[in-house]
Amino acid sequence: MKSRIPDASTEGRIEEIREQAALGRLDAKGIRPPGAPFPEANAEDGYYGLPLLKAPVWTWEVPLYFFVGGAAGASSVVAIAAQVAGGSRALVREARWIAAIGAAASGPLLVLDLGRPERFLNMLRVFKPQSPMSVGAWTLTVFAASASAAVLADVIGLRRIGDAAAFAAALSGLGMATYTGVLIGATVIPVWAKHARSLPIHFGASGLASAVAVLTLRGHEDRALNTLGLVAAAFETYMGIEIEGANDLESEPLRHGPTGMTIRAGGFFSGPLSLALRLLGMKSRRARRAAAASALLGSLITRIAWIEAGKASVRDLRPAMR
Amino acid sequence: MAVTGFLTDSTLCIGCKACEVACKEWNDVPDDGFVWSGLSYDNTIALGHSTYRHVKFVERTPQTGCGGNASERMTWEFSSDVCKHCENAGCLEACPTGSIVRTEFGSVFVQPDICNGCGYCVVACPFGVVDRRPDDGRAFKCTFCYDRQKAGAEPACAKACPTGSILFGPLDELEAAGERRIAQLHAAGMSDATIWNPKETSVGGTHAFFLVRGDPRSYNLPPNPQVPATLLKQSWSAAGVAAAAMTAVSLLAFAWGAGSKQGKRIR
Amino acid sequence: MAENHPVGFQWVIEAREKNGAKIIHVDPRFNRTSAMSDFWLPLRAGSDIVFLGAMIHYTLSNERYFRDYVVPYTNAATILRKDFQDTEDLGGLFSGWDPEKKQYDGKTWLYEGAEPKSGGAQPGMREEGGGHGKDRGGEGQDLHEPHRDPTLEHPRCIFQVLKRHFARYTPEMVEQSCGIPRERFLEVADIFTSASGREKTGAICYAVGWTQHSSGVQIIRAASILQLLLGNIGRPGGGIMALRGHASIQGSTDIPTLYDILPGYLPMPSQDDDSLAKWIKTHQSPKGWWFNIDKYIVSLLKAYYGEAATPQNEFGFNWLPKLTGDHSHFGYWLDMADGKLEGLFVMGQNPAVGAPNAKLERKALAKLKWLVVRDLVEIETATFWLDSPEIATGELRTEDIDTEVFLFPAASHVEKAGTFTNTQRLLQWREQAVEPPGDARSELHFMVHLGRLLQEKATDAPRDAGLRGLTWDYPCHGPIEEPDPEAVLREIHGWRIVSSRSGGGDAPHPASGHPLPASGAKDLTSNGAGTSQTEAGVLAEKHQSKSLREVSASDPSSLDALSLARALAPQRGERVAEGRVRGPATPIPTATPIPTTAPIKNFSELKNDGSTACGCWIYSGVFDGENKANGRAPKGKYGHGWGYAWPLDRRILYNRASAAPDGTPWSERKKLVWWDESKGEWTGDDIADFTKGKRPDAKGSTDNGGDDALPGDAPFIMHPDGVGWLYVPSGLKDGPLPAHYEPLESNQRNELYPQQVTNPAADRKERPDNVYATSPDARFPYVLTTYRLTEHHTSGAMSRTLSHLAELQPELFAEISPELAEEVGVRNGDCVIVATARGEIEARALVTARMPSLDVQGQRIHQVGLPYHWGGRGLVKGDVVNDLLAISEEPNVRIMESKALTCSVRRSEPIVAPLE
Ligand SMILES: Nc1nc2c(c(=O)[nH]1)N[C@H]1C(S)=C(S)[C@@H](COP(=O)(O)OP(=O)(O)OC[C@H]3O[C@@H](n4cnc5c(=O)[nH]c(N)nc54)[C@H](O)[C@@H]3O)O[C@H]1N2
Ligand SMILES: Nc1nc2c(c(=O)[nH]1)N[C@H]1C(S)=C(S)[C@@H](COP(=O)(O)OP(=O)(O)OC[C@H]3O[C@@H](n4cnc5c(=O)[nH]c(N)nc54)[C@H](O)[C@@H]3O)O[C@H]1N2
Ligand code: SF4
Ligand code: SF4
Ligand code: SF4
Ligand code: SF4
Ligand code: SF4
Ligand SMILES: [Mo]
Repeated sequence: MKSRIPDASTEGRIEEIREQAALGRLDAKGIRPPGAPFPEANAEDGYYGLPLLKAPVWTWEVPLYFFVGGAAGASSVVAIAAQVAGGSRALVREARWIAAIGAAASGPLLVLDLGRPERFLNMLRVFKPQSPMSVGAWTLTVFAASASAAVLADVIGLRRIGDAAAFAAALSGLGMATYTGVLIGATVIPVWAKHARSLPIHFGASGLASAVAVLTLRGHEDRALNTLGLVAAAFETYMGIEIEGANDLESEPLRHGPTGMTIRAGGFFSGPLSLALRLLGMKSRRARRAAAASALLGSLITRIAWIEAGKASVRDLRPAMR
Repeated sequence: MAVTGFLTDSTLCIGCKACEVACKEWNDVPDDGFVWSGLSYDNTIALGHSTYRHVKFVERTPQTGCGGNASERMTWEFSSDVCKHCENAGCLEACPTGSIVRTEFGSVFVQPDICNGCGYCVVACPFGVVDRRPDDGRAFKCTFCYDRQKAGAEPACAKACPTGSILFGPLDELEAAGERRIAQLHAAGMSDATIWNPKETSVGGTHAFFLVRGDPRSYNLPPNPQVPATLLKQSWSAAGVAAAAMTAVSLLAFAWGAGSKQGKRIR
Repeated sequence: MAENHPVGFQWVIEAREKNGAKIIHVDPRFNRTSAMSDFWLPLRAGSDIVFLGAMIHYTLSNERYFRDYVVPYTNAATILRKDFQDTEDLGGLFSGWDPEKKQYDGKTWLYEGAEPKSGGAQPGMREEGGGHGKDRGGEGQDLHEPHRDPTLEHPRCIFQVLKRHFARYTPEMVEQSCGIPRERFLEVADIFTSASGREKTGAICYAVGWTQHSSGVQIIRAASILQLLLGNIGRPGGGIMALRGHASIQGSTDIPTLYDILPGYLPMPSQDDDSLAKWIKTHQSPKGWWFNIDKYIVSLLKAYYGEAATPQNEFGFNWLPKLTGDHSHFGYWLDMADGKLEGLFVMGQNPAVGAPNAKLERKALAKLKWLVVRDLVEIETATFWLDSPEIATGELRTEDIDTEVFLFPAASHVEKAGTFTNTQRLLQWREQAVEPPGDARSELHFMVHLGRLLQEKATDAPRDAGLRGLTWDYPCHGPIEEPDPEAVLREIHGWRIVSSRSGGGDAPHPASGHPLPASGAKDLTSNGAGTSQTEAGVLAEKHQSKSLREVSASDPSSLDALSLARALAPQRGERVAEGRVRGPATPIPTATPIPTTAPIKNFSELKNDGSTACGCWIYSGVFDGENKANGRAPKGKYGHGWGYAWPLDRRILYNRASAAPDGTPWSERKKLVWWDESKGEWTGDDIADFTKGKRPDAKGSTDNGGDDALPGDAPFIMHPDGVGWLYVPSGLKDGPLPAHYEPLESNQRNELYPQQVTNPAADRKERPDNVYATSPDARFPYVLTTYRLTEHHTSGAMSRTLSHLAELQPELFAEISPELAEEVGVRNGDCVIVATARGEIEARALVTARMPSLDVQGQRIHQVGLPYHWGGRGLVKGDVVNDLLAISEEPNVRIMESKALTCSVRRSEPIVAPLE
């Protein structure tokens, strides 16, 4: 008599264990081959190899926010640099607009990701320098305000104010482009924490590359853009090499499994491919546009990859147990 | 108000899970899924958004003649895990809304009316304790029964524990009690009994600490937990470098582009 | 114990931590209790008597017994009849076996010089009686002074009989039969038997791991022998603790839900007991406390039938239902399966899951005309017609089932007030915390109002006389007319009926409290010519009991209602004002008399003349002035003042044994009660379970029966010889001593009695729908045992329905050893089919070394463990483990064998439901 019909809900965990057992990967120590089928807890495997840390709960909004916010932030920097160092007026204006639009999109993305979106304003209850999320929330607030003020002032012709706002936007934009690296770096997620030092730079470069890419795709042909793209791509290539070379436990999700593939894909588009195309782009408009597309894609994939790597990272108990 | 704490003594724990159930009853915590784990008698698996107490069942092969209290051999140890209420709490530091606060009892408390579910505490807890409850959206963890303590009552889990495995009281007294208990166990030949309380790490010690037999790692008690705050300096410095570099590179690029013969535009 | 009595287990932990007590756990599997113990001995399920027998053998052969205790306080010195023959002589049978009737005649088991009671009454041996209604200690034999040899040398003294009986229960036998290595056994035997003597004691705790066997009672007997030999009964830190099941399961034997006893362990009359006098004669013990049984039964009948209970009608004795056969759960359920029952009330039980051969039990329900289920949730028993496995398999078809099912929602324990009587015999009052939701009502409400309705329907027919006579006017209060549970407790405590007044109807019902200090009481006192009320009572009581006994003994044939009434009448005349109590001498008043009552302190004031009423004599004392069950102020070492322990708030039974025969404590460390010469009474930390003023050197009176007949150094006051029984001369159906028999299903030889494999007296109830495996049976090579998990409760109705519990153990699993897993090709987490001769079920395999394989009789044996909490309803569901069990009856208490049977295990492919 079989009265119990297992279904997906009851089979979930056991199926997971079985699959891993079949692959010979005993992430979950519930199953051993016959003969030694009894799960034991021990110092090496921890508590039956079960993860200690909690996976990040963030969904698609967060990497997208990282991407958009990073591009917007970098865009405001480009805008001010162009303004100060003689970039075209159109570029300055458009870069400001990109920053403003990006900022405008960032807010909702961040709010959407909240478990209780209606309480987003609670982010501004306090300012906590020791919390990157708090710093980030305030940065975004200042950035969004100044970036939109910059374009609005422009529209109504208050140039002075516009410039001042743009300056403020650039300052906060620097934060926008880099703080997300701190945000995930200064956590307990092993793969993120391991790269706490490089992530802000990585994300900054990625943001810069995407800001430049958007401007490129918008048809701006300032040479500085290609140069910036080139520099960013070069740095991203360097990052890729560094990641490939890392053989520490914490970095395993960056090199193995689905997350490893994604990191690589992101790295490829934003690193070598972008770089090559940017080099070609010194001559070819097409290549520049292709480079821009590649950089954008790479930048987005990179953010997604890092978040996913973070989730994969917690499944490995070993780093936490050292 | 005295700083209170928990000393959970696995040598006294009978694995009855009364603490788990009492906690859920008191705090009205929903179920965590009806999934059989195949891992000893533990189907709770881990602390989480809907589990504030979790009894671990650390199982070894027993030997005829030896019970679990035999000094020469640990066989089936039970240890009731809980939020550590860290001295330096990653979750608290990370929380952008100020939802997580330290109470007058020294405990770390998530204010459910403030939390907006940003999820940042989740990645800031070195012990994988706090988590966001999907259908609710907010982060939850052990409240240290703040409401009960306010009313002068002990936490529900400690109250329900039949054997005194969960000791609740002023932290300093508990620490002394822990020392005495260890001495007693060692004298009884249980040389594998140790106290886990990561005082030497950046966590700076916990208000809920544990007495276990054998290597604490087999209970998923990490030997060297670190709070994310230790990474802030390097990470923010890197951000500064990145920001500086970005500014410099951008300025240079435009300056160079503007000064070049080809003018501002390529082609 | 840690698994199923976790709260009680805290005291074990405390003993371990504070006093360095060593904890020994004997269990086939390493469970939570083992994890807290110092020693764990895994044994083959069903081999406990070998283990305990070997402990006894070890105690005897290594002189570990407490001689100073054993000689005066046990029947070790008592000499047995010449014609007694042991299992050693008869190859596994005791003398008296009747192979035709398949039962023992216990005559030869009696003490030397004793003859079966005149009239041949052997109530303990009766077919229809279960163990609870068994022999009251002296029922088997007439009064006599046992022949004793205090040197313990006489070859037929019980001590020597014991030695011979257990001679072959050796450590080697333990190794062979239980699978416990010899050295491990010896180590533990040494430790346990050293907890003996003046300075030390040891306790044994058991529950259904011992009882649910075809020789369950004899396992407990073996433990009793061991504890008596070690001097561990009646002393602090000693004893045999039956860890009881449901919250008030102790209460439900004291005031029984069992078929064979009435409240206070009074035997349920059987069809042979056609008169009260005959019943009293059969069950009254000449010496010892059960001498008082007449007072208790008459007072009980007075509580039941009140004014309608008169000496003429033997206080309504014949209105009581009589036993005509095996009316135990299994007895009537099989009758039900055979279509012999029309209707059934199921209250607080879920047999569709919890009872053995659950399939048979469920199918039997379909034979009923009506079924009433009162429960907290809609249990499997109530929905057998809708979603039982038999519906799924087509064995039952809903449209073919005629049973009308009434499901009543029951109020839970927090929704009603009342008492729980716990494992320690402690009555504890529970306040109502919340009102029951909706239509949910307490049991009390249901029964009181049902009784009321039935009484309204009573006709003038003679068969309804009892129903008409029933006192059933419990005061009810509030919007839902909830009966007052304290009124019931008062009735249980009892009262004295001091007068009858012509009925104006304004007098309160006795149960409704505030018994009036009625004029009758004054009359009585003044009539007593200076003696106090109680003194008078006691005097009269003595006189009267004696004369009743004399009457009974002198002319058994005259024991009809009238002679009984005559026997009682003169004494009543002597002591009670004429006309106060109705009797033959008093004309029945025309107006309906309404009794007024006076309080009694406790059962010592109960009478056999109908002047007292008491719902349960052992509880009498609980309402002495106030509701003592509601006491919340514990004092002293034993917590007096918290609740009320029956009898008379004595916390440790037989505690007279905590003092040496001369009345001094055995030792300072182990003192409990002792004789205070200056005060001339027993005193100490507990209330003495002994007559307070009886000197330790008192001689038993030869002219008085009862307690007076026992000397001052006889602690076991319930027994006619006042000593603890190493050997049970009467009252057990399967022998005076424990002998090892294999479980009814076993693949092992009976190493001790090869010719007699299983308990001869056990009832297999074998029939086509209740079949057994052969012994041995190659189809079912493994030992199966079933048990509980801390996380669930019994049939799971109260735990599978609650998320906080259900999630902790969401699926049925079978614990198997790594070796067995390998043998059957199963990995941890796989689904397996466990099968017995009755059926098969599916479970997850939990492969664990905590369920070890053992070496027994040169073979490697594997055991399979199944928790039995799952069924077809609730948040988590699973197969019903009890579909695997057979209905079988241990001879004395008719419990099934759930702890040792045989099974097979094979891998099953999980059927994964198609994803929607
Ligand atoms: N949590 C919880 N507590 C309960 C209950 C519950 O369902 N859940 N039920 C209550 C009830 S109704 C009762 S009756 C009690 C029962 O309480 P227990 O008697 O403790 O109940 P079980 O778990 O059935 O059996 C006890 C042990 O007997 C072992 N055993 C099996 N076969 C043998 C054998 O042949 N010899 C020996 N020596 N041991 C054997 C089993 O492995 C098991 O560990 O618990 C009560 N308490
Ligand atoms: N295989 C195997 N079978 C066993 C055993 C075993 O060890 N192995 N153990 C046996 C033992 S010891 C026992 S006690 C039985 C238990 O078996 P059952 O008594 O059949 O099972 P329970 O689940 O305890 O049933 C109690 C029911 O009472 C209901 N209830 C609770 N409170 C109240 C109340 O106040 N009023 C009313 N009306 N209902 C209430 C609950 O919801 C539940 O449905 O199982 C026996 N069966
Ligand atoms: S254990 Fe985690 S959740 Fe608890 S206080 Fe420490 S950091 Fe916070
Ligand atoms: S999820 Fe809630 S508690 Fe956690 S960090 Fe965010 S706001 Fe604070
Ligand atoms: S302190 Fe309170 S909230 Fe925390 S685990 Fe104990 S019962 Fe739960
Ligand atoms: S209540 Fe106490 S004994 Fe029970 S599992 Fe929790 S800590 Fe252990
Ligand atoms: S459920 Fe009640 S009776 Fe059973 S162990 Fe817990 S407290 Fe004691
Ligand atoms: Mo039970």
